[in-house]
Amino acid sequence: MRKWIYFAIVLVLGGLFWWGMQRDPGELKSVLVGKPAPDFELPLLPPYRAEWGERFRLSEHRGKPVVLNFWASWCYPACYEEAPVLELGWRKYQDRVLFFGVNTQDKEAAALDFVRRFNLTFPQGYDPHGKVGIDYGMYGVPETFFIDAEGVVRHRHAGAIDARELEKRIQEVLP
Amino acid sequence: MRRLVLLLLFAALALAQTPTGEPPPDLSPEVFRIASELRCPVCQGESAAESNAGVSQEMRRQIAEMLKEGKSEEAIKQYFVERYGEWILYAPPRRGINWLLWLAPLIGLLVIGYGLWRYLKVAQAREAELALSEEELKALERRLEEE
Repeated sequence: MRKWIYFAIVLVLGGLFWWGMQRDPGELKSVLVGKPAPDFELPLLPPYRAEWGERFRLSEHRGKPVVLNFWASWCYPACYEEAPVLELGWRKYQDRVLFFGVNTQDKEAAALDFVRRFNLTFPQGYDPHGKVGIDYGMYGVPETFFIDAEGVVRHRHAGAIDARELEKRIQEVLP
Repeated sequence: MRRLVLLLLFAALALAQTPTGEPPPDLSPEVFRIASELRCPVCQGESAAESNAGVSQEMRRQIAEMLKEGKSEEAIKQYFVERYGEWILYAPPRRGINWLLWLAPLIGLLVIGYGLWRYLKVAQAREAELALSEEELKALERRLEEE
């Protein structure tokens, strides 16, 4: 009898260990997945004002999927790795998908250096206090949210995004 | 005279400093109390009250704003739960599987207590088994005297 109890304890602990090992510590499931994307309004960084206006409100751009990327100039190397990937994605899909960058908890001058450095042509909002980040339950930059044409959050990617992942997630939100 | 004025000025400035460890004067202790029950999303084991990360500062600012709007503590916590999930709460809500977490220390104590009780009972029984009876003691004493 005692033997069986020990065996059961080892089995339960072993099972817990195996289950723990299967989990991806990098995976951060957002509670927003499947829910409407929180609306926000942000001032745009000066280089984007001529084309997009002084301010950007998400709800005014419904009808197209949105790739919402949170970044900061101090986020090295992750934000520096993904910036060219996002710019390429924008150039490829700009007719069908809206890309929007949220510069978060940053200095405006440093943010402007960053967008010039990577020649980012998709609109960039300025959120020095990170208010929109909290609305999206953001843990840390960079994070990218994929919102479908109905305005529902479909996926959150934590960390630098690569071209393959970006392509895959865009395909999922395209109508 | 000038020296005295300067000395008084410095003394006044020194007194005007906020003692370390106390919240800055622009946020009420209530803000810090609520923030202390919320996790800092980018830290390891720090609450939104202790952390100086930008996101924690913004959380405290938002808590202060919501308090000013007359929102209750529960409503404020719910605001963060809607964005981060229950993970953001330091104390998991007492319901469902979470009860297991709350009861785990008690269950642990009970198991240890039971183990200790069993051990002591067995030890006592063994001691009783080994102990000599009155008759045996007397017999031994007799043998010692004889020798």
